[in-house]
Amino acid sequence: MASRYDRAITVFSPDGHLFQVEYAQEAVKKGSTAVGIRGTNIVVLGVEKKSVAKLQDERTVRKICALDDHVCMAFAGLTADARVVINRARVECQSHKLTVEDPVTVEYITRFIATLKQKYTQSNGRRPFGISALIVGFDDDGIPRLYQTDPSGTYHAWKANAIGRSAKTVREFLEKNYTEDAIANDNEAIKLAIRALLEVVQSGGKNIELAIIRRNQPLKMFSAKEIELQVNEIEKEKEEAERKKSKKTV
Amino acid sequence: MKISFNDKSLQTTFEYPPESSLQEEEGEAEESEEEEQEEEEDEEEDEEGRRETPEDREVRRQLARKREVRLLRRQTKTSLEVSLLEKYPCSKFIIAIGNNAVAFVSSFIMNSGVWEEVGCAKLWNEWCRTTDTIHLSPTEAFCVFYHLKSNPSVLLCQCSCYVAEDQQFQWLEKVFGSCSRKNMQVTVLTCRHVTDYKTAESTSSLHTPFLKALKTQNFREPLCCSLLEQPNIVHDLPAAVLSYCQVWKIPAVLYLCYTDVMKLDLITVEAFKPVLSSRSLKGLVKNIPQSTEILKKLMTTNEIQSNIYT
Repeated sequence: MASRYDRAITVFSPDGHLFQVEYAQEAVKKGSTAVGIRGTNIVVLGVEKKSVAKLQDERTVRKICALDDHVCMAFAGLTADARVVINRARVECQSHKLTVEDPVTVEYITRFIATLKQKYTQSNGRRPFGISALIVGFDDDGIPRLYQTDPSGTYHAWKANAIGRSAKTVREFLEKNYTEDAIANDNEAIKLAIRALLEVVQSGGKNIELAIIRRNQPLKMFSAKEIELQVNEIEKEKEEAERKKSKKTV
Repeated sequence: MKISFNDKSLQTTFEYPPESSLQEEEGEAEESEEEEQEEEEDEEEDEEGRRETPEDREVRRQLARKREVRLLRRQTKTSLEVSLLEKYPCSKFIIAIGNNAVAFVSSFIMNSGVWEEVGCAKLWNEWCRTTDTIHLSPTEAFCVFYHLKSNPSVLLCQCSCYVAEDQQFQWLEKVFGSCSRKNMQVTVLTCRHVTDYKTAESTSSLHTPFLKALKTQNFREPLCCSLLEQPNIVHDLPAAVLSYCQVWKIPAVLYLCYTDVMKLDLITVEAFKPVLSSRSLKGLVKNIPQSTEILKKLMTTNEIQSNIYT
């Protein structure tokens, strides 16, 4: 039955599904995991690095992209679709700045991206974008924001979320571990992001990429060394916690 | 329309009668039309026979030689003198056909023991040409045979090449030949696209991938999944192996996984897991968590090549 409503995405199935949009969400699950966390004074984006072929230039395989000085996004899904969406978003950010003489708010650019995605679910001959995006940044009022969009064109604000391959596992981890204490200071928020990713990433810190934005500061990408430092700290804390546990049981 | 071989009016469609009988038969328009067609065909055949030159025959001979299935000794270019199972008598034969079945066997069965390669099959057809066996990747076509070092009567075949219809009989002859068929059990694992699965249920209620089994009359052990229902049929090499086993009364079972992803896919490979509980495979599998790791590695090395998803 499903196959008769696959062809043109402008067609609803008898039970109200838009199958192409749902299939696009499956395409998102094929991308590697990305996690976003909104702290009190910081927003963090962590991604699982896609393993690159030997001869491939690593710099050109990036999941975290800046849309403007104060907004950045991570995506999961079809690489080419992401490139197109990011380009359009970047142009819109500059166009807004020139027209209104104010930088975009995070909500504005998220709404723009979501509207773009929705348009593609309602035109004939086109397929939806096969990406979900996590958009983070600070507005002029200094409030940190995290938004998530999906192929259907919906967007929501989140305190913490994950998209991509093992999103469900990471989200469950975040639901358990996202407390006011966990995001009390910037370092804790960064550690929470890394711990969430370590749940699902194979071979540990080498395959993690991290980016943060602090209030009134530009985007900062962590180097491999800095990530390793954080990972080592996390492992030490884990060992200590286990030692305390075993002492208690004894 | 049902055609009966006993129907006299249609008899002539199935054999080419000798010239003399053609002149005798007269009467109905149908029959005369058929006669005319046959006469033409006979004439054409004669003409073709006249047209076939020694070169044509040479080309046909070369093509037959090219499509020959050769069974080679391990890592060499020398062919086996007898069939594989005559040289290595076996009590348990596991055949994995197709890249998902091969990945399953590589990760779950081959890593739980030391397996030694005993031979490989080299063949060529329009769809594939088998590559050399030194570095096997999931994307290449090969057909390799192994036996377990600790128990040499357990044989395993990984076949990820397409064996054409005219080559299946040769493959069977070169592998089974006139081996002793007593105390042998064959297990075949393969995949098929779910669009080939015919069922009265609604297709939206099917949860792919799922496993179905087909067994020969002599197979008495309990199955790990439900039997394949009619009117579904099995194709290609798995069908040839099963037919061979049925004819020679060898207990054999085929576990067929219907999937919606024909490329190498983790979920499809994991759908074969119920087979690990079968009597024939139980003793061969030891370390399942490690196998899952190996499988994941196999998948990632395959996926690195693709840049579509990030």
